[in-house]
Amino acid sequence: MPEWINILLRSTGSLVILFLFTKWLGKKQLSEMNVFEYITGIVIGSIVAFIAADLDGNVFHGLLALSVWFIIPFAAEFLSQKSKTFRNIIEGKGTVFIQDGKIMEDNLKKERYTTDDLLEKLRDKNIFRVADVEFAVLESSGALSVLPKKENQPLTAKIIGMTVAPEKESQTVIMDGKVLMEPLANLSLNTNWLETELDKMNISIENVFLGQADSDGQLTVDLYDDKISVPGPSEKPLLFATLKKCQADLELFALATENQQAKQVYQTNSNKLQHAIDLIAPYLKS
Amino acid sequence: MTVGSQVKSCYSSLKSADAQLGILANKAQDQETRQTYQDVQNIISEIKEDLQKEVIRIGQEEPQYKN
Repeated sequence: MPEWINILLRSTGSLVILFLFTKWLGKKQLSEMNVFEYITGIVIGSIVAFIAADLDGNVFHGLLALSVWFIIPFAAEFLSQKSKTFRNIIEGKGTVFIQDGKIMEDNLKKERYTTDDLLEKLRDKNIFRVADVEFAVLESSGALSVLPKKENQPLTAKIIGMTVAPEKESQTVIMDGKVLMEPLANLSLNTNWLETELDKMNISIENVFLGQADSDGQLTVDLYDDKISVPGPSEKPLLFATLKKCQADLELFALATENQQAKQVYQTNSNKLQHAIDLIAPYLKS
Repeated sequence: MTVGSQVKSCYSSLKSADAQLGILANKAQDQETRQTYQDVQNIISEIKEDLQKEVIRIGQEEPQYKN
């Protein structure tokens, strides 16, 4: 067998094996590798390279070594899923660097972190003052997780006690001028609806590069032709304005009429409508 | 515009808002959102009914302005 065929066979074979192994070892490897997994990856790569290119070497020796480097990390991962103690050994535990706003110098020393390293990591999280930090922990993956003090956390609707409408994910319903049926069905809408909405905006589907519908069935589109401006969804703002106008009208009628009974009717209904507007405002404004 | 026609126009605005809310409630995917739309739609329907009576009453009071 000529050498080049040998190399072709070995390369293709090891490529397939490598592909399968990395699939089985899981996605976790890439995103949050600890040192052990990192080294495993490198070693598996080197062994595969050896199998592919070293013609003097025995293929089966290579495969044997490869399976050891596959099976042990695989088993370790499996066991660490089952047992917490094992997981602590394999993946390590996080080290607390800042607790109650105070830096734990001993822990820094233990992880061989200098003050500069810590400051750099904090700056990475957009924190320039250690005093702003309530709690920080060095994860086993090497990333620093930081919890800023409450007053330094970004303002959320919960903090200011605002009611917000729940929002489901939007679905992409048009891509490259073509309708995607499945996302459309997920929103329980159909192509008829889509055509009507596009007609309302006075555009044809061929001109749509990307169209998304939110969970309230509002369509937003981006066109190929960027010179055409597309009106944004106006349904909800219009409805909100209508409701507010009606409320003001009712109040006006209540003031204008001299019939006591009618005044009463207008007044109660105006209050009722105000209550309804308060209820629905978060939904219509989003 | 007479008072009668003003009340009438307010009534039809409410009618359209009522219908719009019905459409939104039907399209909403989230249960809570749908519930809110429906609740508000019910309130609006009640107001609408009251206002309709008012429209009729005004029509009887001032038949000369009935268009």
